Amino acid sequence: MINKRIQRILTLVIGLMITAGGLGLFPAEGWADDPKARTIMEKVDARDDGDHQTADMEMILIDKNGKKRKRKISSYSKYKAEDKQRLMFFLEPADVKDSGFLTYDYDNPDKDDDQWLYLPALRKTKRIASSDKSGSFMGSDLTYADMASRDLDDYDFTMKKEMDVKGHAVWLIESIPRSKAVIKETGYTKSVLFVRQDNYFVIRAVHWVKDGGYLKYVDVKTLKQIDGIWIGTEMHITKKKGKKIAHKTELSWKNVRFNQNLDDDLFSVRRLEKGL
Amino acid sequence: MPAIRNKIEKWFEKFSLNIFRFRWATILITLVIVGVFVSWIPKITFDTSNESFLHENSPVLKDYNAFRDQFGRDDLIIIAIKSTNVFSLGFLEKLKNFHDNLRDDVPHIEEITSMINARSTRGENDALIVGDLLENWPENQEQLEIIKKRVMGNPLYLNRLISENAQFTSLVLKTETYSNTTALDDPLAGFDESQAPADQNQFLSDEEISETVYHVKKIVEKYRDNNFEIYTAGPPVVSSTLKRLMIKDQNLFMRMIVLTIAIGLFVMFRRISAVVLPMIVVVCALVSTLGLMAIFKVPLKMPTVVLPSFILAVGIADSIHILTLYYRDLAIGGDKKQAIQTAMGHSGLAVVLTTLTTAAGLASFGISKVAPIAELGIFAAVGVTLSLIFTLILLPALLAVTPAKALKSSRTSSGKSRFDRILKWIGTFSTRNATAITITCILLLMLSIAAVSRLSFTHDVLKWLPETEPVRISTETIDNALKGSVAMEIIVDTGRVNGLYDIHTLNTLEQLAREIENIRQGDLFVGKASSVVDILKEIHQALNENRSEYYVVPSDPALIPQELLLFENSGSDDLEDVVDSQFQKARFTIKVPWLDAVKYVALIQDLSARFDRAFGKDINVSMTGMMTIMFSTVVSAIYSAAQSYVIAGLVITIMVILLIGSLKIGLLAMFPNMLAILFVMGLVAVFNWPFDMFTMLIGSIAIGLCVDNTIHFMHNFRRYYRKTGNVGKAVEETLLTTGRALFISTVVLSIGFFIYAFASMKNLFYFGLLTGMTIALALVANFFLTPALLALVARFSNLFPREVSND
Repeated sequence: MINKRIQRILTLVIGLMITAGGLGLFPAEGWADDPKARTIMEKVDARDDGDHQTADMEMILIDKNGKKRKRKISSYSKYKAEDKQRLMFFLEPADVKDSGFLTYDYDNPDKDDDQWLYLPALRKTKRIASSDKSGSFMGSDLTYADMASRDLDDYDFTMKKEMDVKGHAVWLIESIPRSKAVIKETGYTKSVLFVRQDNYFVIRAVHWVKDGGYLKYVDVKTLKQIDGIWIGTEMHITKKKGKKIAHKTELSWKNVRFNQNLDDDLFSVRRLEKGL
Repeated sequence: MPAIRNKIEKWFEKFSLNIFRFRWATILITLVIVGVFVSWIPKITFDTSNESFLHENSPVLKDYNAFRDQFGRDDLIIIAIKSTNVFSLGFLEKLKNFHDNLRDDVPHIEEITSMINARSTRGENDALIVGDLLENWPENQEQLEIIKKRVMGNPLYLNRLISENAQFTSLVLKTETYSNTTALDDPLAGFDESQAPADQNQFLSDEEISETVYHVKKIVEKYRDNNFEIYTAGPPVVSSTLKRLMIKDQNLFMRMIVLTIAIGLFVMFRRISAVVLPMIVVVCALVSTLGLMAIFKVPLKMPTVVLPSFILAVGIADSIHILTLYYRDLAIGGDKKQAIQTAMGHSGLAVVLTTLTTAAGLASFGISKVAPIAELGIFAAVGVTLSLIFTLILLPALLAVTPAKALKSSRTSSGKSRFDRILKWIGTFSTRNATAITITCILLLMLSIAAVSRLSFTHDVLKWLPETEPVRISTETIDNALKGSVAMEIIVDTGRVNGLYDIHTLNTLEQLAREIENIRQGDLFVGKASSVVDILKEIHQALNENRSEYYVVPSDPALIPQELLLFENSGSDDLEDVVDSQFQKARFTIKVPWLDAVKYVALIQDLSARFDRAFGKDINVSMTGMMTIMFSTVVSAIYSAAQSYVIAGLVITIMVILLIGSLKIGLLAMFPNMLAILFVMGLVAVFNWPFDMFTMLIGSIAIGLCVDNTIHFMHNFRRYYRKTGNVGKAVEETLLTTGRALFISTVVLSIGFFIYAFASMKNLFYFGLLTGMTIALALVANFFLTPALLALVARFSNLFPREVSND
């Protein structure tokens, strides 16, 4: 027989907890998903990022001592249904000229992406097998996970706040992977996305990298609208540990064109070996 | 000379009167000053790393730091697991859990590698696979066999992650390079692209390393089991073990020396104040010295562990001399003021002189290129000097405020006279048998010199630990099973961007690696030599259907940059560990067992020669890494030891000559002390005891201390000789007056060193034993040989030139 007094106290406590919960006094992380944030992310996902695209990409890799290496790549991409195909050829430096990469990024999460590479000196194409996308793209701070589209069902989204980035209002949305498999796939334990309120473009992102305790800062420096598509033409990616910069990548795209009527044949191993 | 001496004695008397007058102010001011020093003590740091043996501005250390800035730390923690069935599902499951546990729960780890995530690069049909070895977890025996074959067939795994007999597998932990003291308060604010200034990069601190090792050990204990025997080694483990034992020993010694001193003082003076007051004085000196070390940001290192007990033991002698005279004067019926005046007047000068000689001996190794030895020398000299200052200022003030009655002579007359009879006998024996004693001692000296010439230096920090210490056993086990546990690093700088794409350079590196792996010099062997070439060979083989004949540097130079590009795209960041981003500098790592640094002399010369021959002038080759640091320490230590011995010997001899006032007698006075030191060093050579940076200190420390006895002896001998004109009589008087004080202070001092025999650290054991022996033998020599020499010389010439004396 519980003491009447204790019963009353318990009721009071439980009542307070419910009220507190209702008033939102519990941390947001405790709740699974924020519908407002999810809606925004759905719009981000649905945003038209263009098709039949060609561009010249320049990549500057900067190490922790500030030493630079430059690469120039010509890139082509096209959607085949929901799958994204990408073809890239190195233009510079000279010792890797005409090396080519072909990627099929499948929308189906159960299907591993395919990647082929062609080394001119080897005169052979090799398929690269990797089970996760956390690997670096060409030695840069960009990973394949960064370039692939996210499956919204893999994450919980919460709205952190709204703020201003370079004169544009953004939402800060926190994205937490729902399973260990997703963390393994992307290499990130958590991300915060800065979404532009006017065009649903992710203008900045901070990623918590699992291996090594780094933070990765993705900053789209220049955003342009080309043929009606919003595209980042300059992007800086910085890997930091505390205040120290471990590595940095500066990417820029020139001559970005859409709707170039690219053929599916372009995105083939045969074409990879043939070159530009 | 006597006029000056008189003047000084009078000055001390006046000084002591002033102290008496302002006794309370003196005590207060002194305690305030000491208080300031004490407030700094909590900021004292420890540093038991190998790097701490070199000065900050040493070129070797600068090279090492530049290397670590580029490639990270090379002092890896190696955890080896012994098991009869490494390639079984059960074992691998446990290994995975162990690996994950270490990865998740050990702080300051940058990377952990084991069979679980070892880079596996291979071709399969038309695919190139670069991934973790156990990415696809084996599910049956067949798959286990494939894994086993892959592992045992990979030269990069052999003797790194798996032993040749497959009974040992290892996990290698690389600690973070820098201290993570600057975490961002708001991660979201990190878009500011300004870089933290480079000089803010502090290497991982001693504290942090200890923390890491602590967590590793905790987790290791959880997994240790039959058929899962775990051995943990690597420089971080060694240095944190050294630190732990160092602190333990230091605490023990402090307590023991305080006890010894207290007992010694009580036996001598039979009153509590005679124990308490001098203790206050030396403790003030000690804490002030420690405070100064904290102020000057000098960390406590292995050699400086002897500092506290040293300052206490040495500092107390000054008080003993002052107190002896003080209590004697009180007993005669003087009042406190008078007694203080007398004691200070008579002993003040002598005490100053003896401290100066001790400090000079210690300061002589302030020039040592071995940083902790230099620090020990300087701060020990500071400590004994502070002790002197406090003895002359604080002690009289404390005596002035302490009530003191003259004690009835509690010493039984028989006790006193028995000791006196012994002293008398010594005097008679030594002066009567002067020739025999002198000749015997000269023979001993010659034998000692002969033995000393055979001394060879040794530096092996691991051997300082007791044989049963786990890290010592583990290191030896891992050195055997995995062919080494520490590394030498060679940086090959091609001098231009992409210089490492050059096929000739790569082939040369490959050739050198094969040659070097065959080196064997006694118990020194090379376990593994690796560089970026290994990664290139791996990729080349994988791109050619894993055919073993392709495990070579590509013959087409055009393939090299492309294959490396491919590797960069694979997601592995292993290239960062072996080349810089410009492909200009390559890191060539040579794995070796942990041996006495002296054994690496020949190897280092050999490697130098090989690389010079192979690369010529165009390519800059430099050696660094942990073993090079240890080796450099050896070279510095030997060089500095020789230097400091010469300096100490010269400086102190000159001081003694000046103090005694006669070249002849001065040199004569040094002989017994030199004999004692050389004799003990000779024993080290004969019994093959370690002659390392600790035992090497003995000579410099002992000279300063032993000479103190000589100075007191001569100070009094001169007085009595001038009175009696007879050596025998003068010796007797000297022994009867100062003999007892000399005996007690020597006993206290040598016990202060003998207590190191209780050290858990073996280097301290030998250091303490041998220094104690030296001091004790020096007293014996001073009692027997000095009178003998004086008697002998007196037969042929005037001992002291005629002086007008006012004594």
